[in-house]
Amino acid sequence: MATESSRFKFDFDPGFQSSRLRIAWYALIGVLLAGGAVAAYIRLTEGMASTNLTSIVPWGAWVAFYIYFVGLSAGAFLVSTMANVFEIEGMHRIDRDALFAAIISMVVALLFVWIDLGRMDRMYFPFIWRQLTSALSWEVHAYVAYIGILVTELYFSMRIDLARVADRASGLRERFYTALTLGRDDTSEASQAFDRRWLKRAGILGIPLAIFTVHGGTGVLFAVSKARPYWNSGLFPVIFVISALLSGTALVMMIYVLRTKLFDGESVDPALLDRLAQLLIGFIIIDAALTAIEAFIPLASLHPHEIETWQVIMYGPMSWSFWWFMVGLSWVFPMVLLSKKSWRRTPSVMVLAGLSVVIGIIAVRFNIVIPAQILPVMEGLPHGSYFPTLVEWGSSIGIMAVGLLLYTLGAETLPLTPLGGDHE
Amino acid sequence: MSSADGDVLPGVPSVGREDLDSMVDAETTDPREELADVDADTELGVEMAEDAKRVARGELTGDEYWAKHDAAAAAEFGDAYRETPNPAVDAGDQTVSTEAAESMQCTVGSMDTVAAETAQTDDGEGGIGAGDEKWGMVIDLQKCVGCDSCTVACKAENRTPPGVSYNVVMEEEHGEFPNTSRTNVPKPCMQCENPPCVQVCPVSATYKMDDGVVNIDYDRCIGCRYCMIACPYGARYFDFGENYDDEVDEASEITSPEYGVDRGKREEKKSPVGNVRKCSFCTHRLERGEEPACVETCVGDARNMGDLDNPDSEVAAMADSNRAFQLKEDEGTDPNVYYLK
Repeated sequence: MATESSRFKFDFDPGFQSSRLRIAWYALIGVLLAGGAVAAYIRLTEGMASTNLTSIVPWGAWVAFYIYFVGLSAGAFLVSTMANVFEIEGMHRIDRDALFAAIISMVVALLFVWIDLGRMDRMYFPFIWRQLTSALSWEVHAYVAYIGILVTELYFSMRIDLARVADRASGLRERFYTALTLGRDDTSEASQAFDRRWLKRAGILGIPLAIFTVHGGTGVLFAVSKARPYWNSGLFPVIFVISALLSGTALVMMIYVLRTKLFDGESVDPALLDRLAQLLIGFIIIDAALTAIEAFIPLASLHPHEIETWQVIMYGPMSWSFWWFMVGLSWVFPMVLLSKKSWRRTPSVMVLAGLSVVIGIIAVRFNIVIPAQILPVMEGLPHGSYFPTLVEWGSSIGIMAVGLLLYTLGAETLPLTPLGGDHE
Repeated sequence: MSSADGDVLPGVPSVGREDLDSMVDAETTDPREELADVDADTELGVEMAEDAKRVARGELTGDEYWAKHDAAAAAEFGDAYRETPNPAVDAGDQTVSTEAAESMQCTVGSMDTVAAETAQTDDGEGGIGAGDEKWGMVIDLQKCVGCDSCTVACKAENRTPPGVSYNVVMEEEHGEFPNTSRTNVPKPCMQCENPPCVQVCPVSATYKMDDGVVNIDYDRCIGCRYCMIACPYGARYFDFGENYDDEVDEASEITSPEYGVDRGKREEKKSPVGNVRKCSFCTHRLERGEEPACVETCVGDARNMGDLDNPDSEVAAMADSNRAFQLKEDEGTDPNVYYLK
């Protein structure tokens, strides 16, 4: 393959452009991890008593973050299929970014599921005992299959560049990259075509898996609960998927700009940025519209339990999270930033829009999980109230820092940007 | 006013210990008369009884007692004696040493093994919850006075930790003075025919037993709390690991044998800590032929327990009456707890 690699010009230098930025970034992650470790230690020694959860509000911040990261993952994955399945022009550039972010999000989501278990030592039990009627039982298996699909896709998407890098490198680095190619170090056109074909096949399998089982299924997990009328609707899982697409697109857009600027030291493609921004507009509109419908139906039906739940959301003590974060940060503010074509082509403005959505959707997830548990399931039982403890916040930030660390390590070593002529 | 007579309170009879003891003696039947009615040797019986009192007073050791009587007892009772469980085997606090116990002629085994075998033969083949009954509870709201005794009896019986209460009474006042009324609705686990909690458990740790009671396997439950989300009655509680040790000395020393499993002391990180808990209809009491603690304690006799599958049972008749209803009937859960309005 000597002629191949000499013909193929590329410059592989992943990682931060600025070493000062690298130090600052790892220092920040280190601080977050240290804080998270303290919180996790308290969680492990004191058990669930270290949370503000009660028997009235048994699901809290960890569950909200769990569905948030499943959503981010599903959304990011679906954006990747625009490149590798639907072959939308110009999207190939962000294929691996999206897949890698989807994998890391899934790891983070499962860490949140794990820390939320009353018996963390029994986390493997769902693979020993099952319940066919339990959405959660199915979900656990779907997550594993989905992570398998994501890793497979990332492999087929990135393998040829791993082989090219291994070819160029020597010593330990060569062995590292060769190991990641799983021994398939062919860099010919034929091998690339083979990878593309299998990438597409895995993507086609992954689309229904992500939409219907992974994220739709997570919505179903809530929607089947007839004890909580606020969740118990057919539209609910659909909104789950739409808000996942919204947050996933925003995340990919943000990562694309930041990694291109800070790691590759290249300029952002304004056309691609505009395309992602327009997608984001579409998802914001659909998400807001479906949420309005979801609120309107029970309000118009005068269903007392749901009316009260919506009153809790809109006027209760936590209504700030609805108005400022859910409505403000995930819909209105990004919509303003996305409204002008010149802004849609300005990387810094789009990073701000992406960040706004990514933060805003956190409130969407909290407003899904918590309010449905505030109203008692039966008249005469006490109302619930919940705000996470420092341990819950700290451990949550720690788990997210694990995700950031894994992502950064990956971004510093893997060819997430297609090398050389693979730019389309 | 201090005199010898001053200690005697008006209206209280003045009796000493001797008087009381002699009253006991007067009530006690004559052992010879009593033993005359049975086939066994009267003299041996009286002698063994007298020596047993000496053992109790510490004048005689357990070993000496059995050395003296073992042979005579074996001769008198034959096989019946030899097949008696040996009271000394495996028992740490017996008055008989291991050597003496082993030399005795009654060698069937410890009391525990014999007791367990008896229980098993009563049980049929399936163990806990395998009964033919379909346990149901009927609560007469006309009789409930809202005293919360059931809640207290339940906590005492099941030794539930703070924040866990298998039974609660939902109390509501309606109307304005003077036209007010009060509704008290005691609420245990409904032991639904179609339990949403069983439906959602990812590891099948909660399931319906043959006798209709919804079980929780504390050794399998992973503590995900999905069942608590799914329960339309708020009947499930998470065990956060708290205890009453600050209020009551040694409160954690024993636990209730819920679902027939004796888990010994309540300890940190040991199940059921970190698990979901709920009312079991006092399965451990049902298995030994007793009513649940709440039913037994109810001052107004408002709570009734029985077999809903038996058409002659009182609960079946009450559950069929036109006063009967279930909570949240439109949920399709079909509770086995009925209320009479």
